[in-house]
Amino acid sequence: MPISSDKVQVLCGCNDLDAMTAQCALPPFSKVVCEFFSALSAEIMKHPEAKQYPDVVTFGFFCRRGNIQRLKDEYSDKISNRLGRGVSFHIAPSNVPINFAYSLAAALLAGNSCIVRASSKGFRQIGLVCECIQNTISLVEFREIASRISVICYERSREINDRLSALADVRIIWGGDATVTELRSSPLSPRAVDIAFADRYSLAVMDARAVIDTADLKRLAQDFYNDTYLYDQNACSSPRLVYWLGDNEDTASAAELFWEAVHKEAAARYHIEPVVAVDKYTEACRMAIEHNADIRSGKDNLISRIVVDSLSADLPDHRCAGGSFIEYHSSSLDALKTIVTKKYQTLSYFGVDRQTLMQFVVGNGLSGIDRIVPIGKTADFSLVWDGYDLIMQMSRVIGF
Amino acid sequence: MTNLEIYNNAFKEAFEVDEAQLAGLEYQGIAAWDSVGHMNLIALLEDAFDIMMDTDDIIDLSSYEKGKEIMAKYEKNI
Repeated sequence: MPISSDKVQVLCGCNDLDAMTAQCALPPFSKVVCEFFSALSAEIMKHPEAKQYPDVVTFGFFCRRGNIQRLKDEYSDKISNRLGRGVSFHIAPSNVPINFAYSLAAALLAGNSCIVRASSKGFRQIGLVCECIQNTISLVEFREIASRISVICYERSREINDRLSALADVRIIWGGDATVTELRSSPLSPRAVDIAFADRYSLAVMDARAVIDTADLKRLAQDFYNDTYLYDQNACSSPRLVYWLGDNEDTASAAELFWEAVHKEAAARYHIEPVVAVDKYTEACRMAIEHNADIRSGKDNLISRIVVDSLSADLPDHRCAGGSFIEYHSSSLDALKTIVTKKYQTLSYFGVDRQTLMQFVVGNGLSGIDRIVPIGKTADFSLVWDGYDLIMQMSRVIGF
Repeated sequence: MTNLEIYNNAFKEAFEVDEAQLAGLEYQGIAAWDSVGHMNLIALLEDAFDIMMDTDDIIDLSSYEKGKEIMAKYEKNI
């Protein structure tokens, strides 16, 4: 049965559902899959347009031979009695263009065939990576892979969700609570499993003095931009709260320097959609009324700063995207103790010792914060994501 | 090709520069050697020398000269 129809567009790979479901599973990190990624990496890195998209190059870099080998080595003693579950069905988030590619990579590395629904927002990054995938699977040595990949897009459709869910052995739902709830209404077969990524909330901790003293403010601003604006601030790992460590005076100077540098990046690279601009303004007003926040939006609304003098437990409900930041400052991290819940995912940092942060999370038994990474690294993909080991979850164990 | 030629070619290809520009070249010293260019350079070096670089070495490779020292760790004397 063909996958494509008037409702489903195949962006790259196989168009035959029967052929896909007929594939036998592969062991995790099989030779042909590892070689495929190495060839795909080369294809992406040499693509003339790739350089314009840091997220695409980063994915190409992730797929390179050395990195896949390193990952394989990390798993080597855990995968000898494992096989992929079979067919994986992925629902990638609509706002993080490159996410579909990492989801596909994890599932293919685990040994599965992959039907991946990519964002239908028409991001060039998706087209570009699909072009590279198509070129790579067209090579004769990757014929085996060609019938294991299908990247598709379709507008929301219960009917198509139902059909693809029914044949999946593992379903990976990105995109947060609403998407998870929507997809859960499409039944899986009895043996199949769901990996669902719920809404999360992330924050950045910066030492004010370190920001004032840094010799490379531009780099910090670029890193912060890549963590936030690059994904419209919609990635679950994108910081929404900026927590300054420092006294009044240092924080004021550091914040001024920092936001000015971020503004330069955003002005050069970020295009704000009118609807996002309105949301940002509305949210800032709401925060001003409900939390007595001090609003510092600048004249072009590229950065919406919402400065608060106390942190409330309902911060994760403030989900405004596109460059809207809650800011708070304190001489210690203590204010986080009372507000961090299971919703909190990534803590990114600058100028703060990572061991101190780890000690803070572990020592206080915080119920949230699953990752501690430097600013600029929040979107770095890892096979352990959001508390799941994707290779383990997407393969089955043969007990013997 | 000598190791030096292989090494130089990776820089020339990654940043579209001439041989004459290589000495003294540093990360962020030219527009092309930004974080994206850096990933390109590392991928080219790993491929050309058939090596797998440690994360620390990838981060430390901050200049043309420093890179030569790092390559020596992988038994590629330049």
